[in-house]
Amino acid sequence: MPRLTIDGKAIEVPKGTRVIEAAKKLETDIPYYCYHPGLSIAGNCRMCLVEVEKMPKLQIACHMEAMDGMVVRTNTEKVLKTRQHILEFLLVNHPLDCTVCDQAGECWLQDYYMKHGLYDSRVNENKVKKPKAVSLGPTVMLDAERCILCSRCVRFTDEISKTSELGIVNRGDHGEITVFPGKELKNPYSGNVVDICPVGALTDKDFRFKMRVWYLKSGDSICTGCARGCNIQVQYNLDRPHHTKGDRVMRIKPRFNENVNKWWICDEGRYGYKFHDYNRILMPLKRVLGKVEELTWHKILPEVAHGLTSAKNKFGVFLSSQLSNEELFLAKNLFKDKLKIENVFLVPGSPPGFQDDFLIRADKNPNSKGAEMLGFATEDKEIHAFLADCEKGLMKGIVVFGSDILTGLKEKKVLQAVQKLEWSVFIGSNHNLMSEYASFVLPSATFIEKDGTFTNFEGRVQKFEKILEPLGEAEPEWRILVTLARELGIHFHFDRTEEIFKALVLNVDFFKGMTYEKLGTGGSDIRSMAAPTIPALEQDANIL
Amino acid sequence: MNTIFTPEIKIKADAIVAQYETRRASILEILRLLQEHYGHITLEMEEAAAHYLEIPAINVREVMTFYSLFYSEPKAKTRFQVCRTLTCALLGGEEMVKHLQEKLGIKPGEKTADGKFSIQTVECLGACEIAPMMQLNDKEYIGPLTKEKIDELLQATGCKPQART
Amino acid sequence: MEKLISKYFIPGKTFFLTDYLADGGYKAVRTVFEKYQAKEVIDLVKQSNLRGLGGAGFPCGMKWSFVPQNTGRPVYLVVNADEGEPGTFKDKYIIFHVPHLLLEGIIIAAYANNVHKAYIYIRGEYVEPYEKLKKAVEEAYAKGFLGKNIFGKSYDLDLVIHRGAGAYICGEETGLLESLEGKKGFPRLKPPFPAVVGLFGCPTVINNVETLSYVPYIVNRGAEWFAKLGSDKNGGLRLFSVSGHVKKPGVYELPLGVSLREIIYEHAGGICEDRKLKAVVPGGLSAAIFTADEIDIGMDFDQLRNKGTMAGSGGVIVMDETTCMVKALLATMRFFAHESCGQCSPCREGTGWVHRILERIAKGGGRGKDIETLLDICSFMGGTTICALADGAAMPLRSYPTKFREEFEYHVKEGKCPDLLLMEKQ
Repeated sequence: MPRLTIDGKAIEVPKGTRVIEAAKKLETDIPYYCYHPGLSIAGNCRMCLVEVEKMPKLQIACHMEAMDGMVVRTNTEKVLKTRQHILEFLLVNHPLDCTVCDQAGECWLQDYYMKHGLYDSRVNENKVKKPKAVSLGPTVMLDAERCILCSRCVRFTDEISKTSELGIVNRGDHGEITVFPGKELKNPYSGNVVDICPVGALTDKDFRFKMRVWYLKSGDSICTGCARGCNIQVQYNLDRPHHTKGDRVMRIKPRFNENVNKWWICDEGRYGYKFHDYNRILMPLKRVLGKVEELTWHKILPEVAHGLTSAKNKFGVFLSSQLSNEELFLAKNLFKDKLKIENVFLVPGSPPGFQDDFLIRADKNPNSKGAEMLGFATEDKEIHAFLADCEKGLMKGIVVFGSDILTGLKEKKVLQAVQKLEWSVFIGSNHNLMSEYASFVLPSATFIEKDGTFTNFEGRVQKFEKILEPLGEAEPEWRILVTLARELGIHFHFDRTEEIFKALVLNVDFFKGMTYEKLGTGGSDIRSMAAPTIPALEQDANIL
Repeated sequence: MNTIFTPEIKIKADAIVAQYETRRASILEILRLLQEHYGHITLEMEEAAAHYLEIPAINVREVMTFYSLFYSEPKAKTRFQVCRTLTCALLGGEEMVKHLQEKLGIKPGEKTADGKFSIQTVECLGACEIAPMMQLNDKEYIGPLTKEKIDELLQATGCKPQART
Repeated sequence: MEKLISKYFIPGKTFFLTDYLADGGYKAVRTVFEKYQAKEVIDLVKQSNLRGLGGAGFPCGMKWSFVPQNTGRPVYLVVNADEGEPGTFKDKYIIFHVPHLLLEGIIIAAYANNVHKAYIYIRGEYVEPYEKLKKAVEEAYAKGFLGKNIFGKSYDLDLVIHRGAGAYICGEETGLLESLEGKKGFPRLKPPFPAVVGLFGCPTVINNVETLSYVPYIVNRGAEWFAKLGSDKNGGLRLFSVSGHVKKPGVYELPLGVSLREIIYEHAGGICEDRKLKAVVPGGLSAAIFTADEIDIGMDFDQLRNKGTMAGSGGVIVMDETTCMVKALLATMRFFAHESCGQCSPCREGTGWVHRILERIAKGGGRGKDIETLLDICSFMGGTTICALADGAAMPLRSYPTKFREEFEYHVKEGKCPDLLLMEKQ
């Protein structure tokens, strides 16, 4: 393995490692624009030029292969002066758009200017004019003047989404990013080009002019759009509610995970966050003969408990694969083990859809595998039998977690069956058809408002954390279960999801040995399982 | 696409493509073929070429805009492509352009209103020994130019002198 | 001095196959097939000190010896007939007047490198030369000099003429390869070098037209003979393209190492109207200029490099005392700004910026620190880019204001040309 020195620090790296990657391991900061570890090497920004002993010219660290005995210096005067001038070149035609550019605050030109520039401009010429505010497609806006032609977006559409919509036309400083006239940047991963654009050339239409990024706070979570469980960052604003009509979540960004989604997320996961702030059920509701009354938890839970008790075991529970491992475990414990209810069913929270050979899975639920490992299965026959019993008047009630079974189940006469019951309980975060009919509606938290774990389709258990307080009176499902259980005289001594997880681990083989701490930010290690679908590599803390 | 790659064109195109290791590699010759046939290359033709070469359409657009010899708009019947690089600049190339400008009433990069003449200033054509020089209609090299020579050329190519304004 | 290639440059005449054979053409190929192993041909060319005459001056034989033969991939030969370096027009003459000489050189080079498929990348503007070349290639195929079992030997060689479409950067080796592969002419990152990873990822030899055209002479007359024609380590003759303020612009075949003064005054007839020389471009537009008192220099690759400029493509552009150096530099930088491919930031932005500054100065809008700015910019355009276009722009950019500082300062301060004749006399 070649051993090289960077700024006096020695490191051994696998053959084929680029100097820029070796530097990163040493936590030496070499600035760059066009380099991206998930894309091919372009070497065109020239920002990463460093001094290599015995070589007369500076070399770009992103392309230069680390060789044994190589001595690299990243902070000599020559290197620093060159960096400054490269930055100057990139800014020669760059428009002074900071005041109106969404990228301000997370712009690599701003950042590197403060770190490596700090010179006075000496450009006395007109700048090259290019198209501004060009819609490239449904999700992305282009400002060609701001573009530094690093070609990251072009390489993305060629190598990652493999849709090749983007290209660079014209020669020299008239170069522009564009799509073929009449065509669009439209693919399931289009939003990623905005992430990787280091400047404000490609911006998100969804986020356009919404919020200045320095007002954003961030929390780590897992996308619940499908069974892959891409790692995400939820960026929200609480400081400037008057700017956003009270909306909290401003945007979703991908979070690097070597094994699950690398640097990318799909557009559905990226833009499907409005439900956290819109159409929420905010208060517990009681519905009698069509009239809706808002109650407090204090008032409604005894009534719900009364319904459950009087029904004895003549009711059904519909759990969903949108629930966390902890919630499914707790629900199973309460309804199946303690209350001895037979009719406990698992239904997919969302119907299946499109799948590709990259990130998107057909199963649009985050915890189907978790449910499976906890002993659940979707049993259509049993569900059918239960609904038939409901219609015959043999059942008294139904508890539904989240899913809109009135629309979701393949059964045709679900509504009729439900209306024959004495009571129905809907526990969910957003209004749907089910919440319009249920006699008791209990508001629950969305996944950014609670802690827990999901198990993705490969069997990887991943943690998600509470980022925001639940809206209104909403509570996480697990807490609803604990307090409901108390009303029924059953005492679960759980104050935190981690405690539920500990119990889960002791009881379910699949989760043996796991702890929240071990799950960390990357999820469980699935190398011991047969056929993981993305080749497992070293779990470096490798973020970019 | 079949309307652009007519059977006649397709035979020629297939013969060209057969010479190269990849279909994409033949793009310059294929675009040239289309330009020779149709005069200039429209977006529709670019898409047809992309389809024929089995490459993304944007890659054809990139090539069209990168290289100087392709026309995206109808070209003038008589095109004066005057060199402006060092030797021609030293030997009065600028005056030749100005003379043409006066006579035709248009600036470099423009076409006369009747579409018959255009002036382009181009970079070194590899004919510095006959500077100042020009290329006519993307073909012949003509030089050394003088104002008289240009007037002769204009007459020969059917130019009616502009009324002095 | 005996003319080798330029003897064929008879105005209006092309030596097609019959004429070329009558003059002893294709003898060298036959000799090579009969008497030489491939490796021996490479050694022969090494000994001849033949240098790359397109501009880089890299020893040709050494370049050939870098080609790995054991990769399992085919080896390609690409002939660079793009001739884009301003001031250069000699390849045009070879292709127009004696295309078969080039073909003969190609065949020998192919044999030496185990090449069975070759491309000639000719600039798209060379329409008449292309027609001549096309005819010559057809003749060669018809005669069995190209195609299957050439010259009756069990050796196949296919040749494709590929026309460029107007981009100077496609004369750069790897820009040419990208263009030949059907993309924009964006030069590649090196290493790997084309000899190892070139056309379609295969080992590739890239040679200039003139370089290959001298190969038959080396075979026919010997490496030592050829080496002695030139100067130390710079073997043979080369075709100097002379233009500008000279009485007899044209192509002059002279030994490597010939004096620049001799080229200008003896061969090109001296300055127009016997005016005074002011400056000379010695090796194509990318070369740093010489002043009138620097022309007693031997024109070979090593001597010129030691003087801070380059022999380049052999394009000599002569400027007399009526030349405005600011306007001359403007025309130069306008060229580079127009031809920059735009891939990397120092060249793309630097050439455009410098062009605009010079335009402003030439129009009379010069400002105090302009010259310092220009000199500072060129320090960081050179040595920081993917290919040498920016270096080629930086070299003249540095030499003009350095060697004609007064004139540039006058322009900036006064907003116009000084009385040039007056300035010379001072």
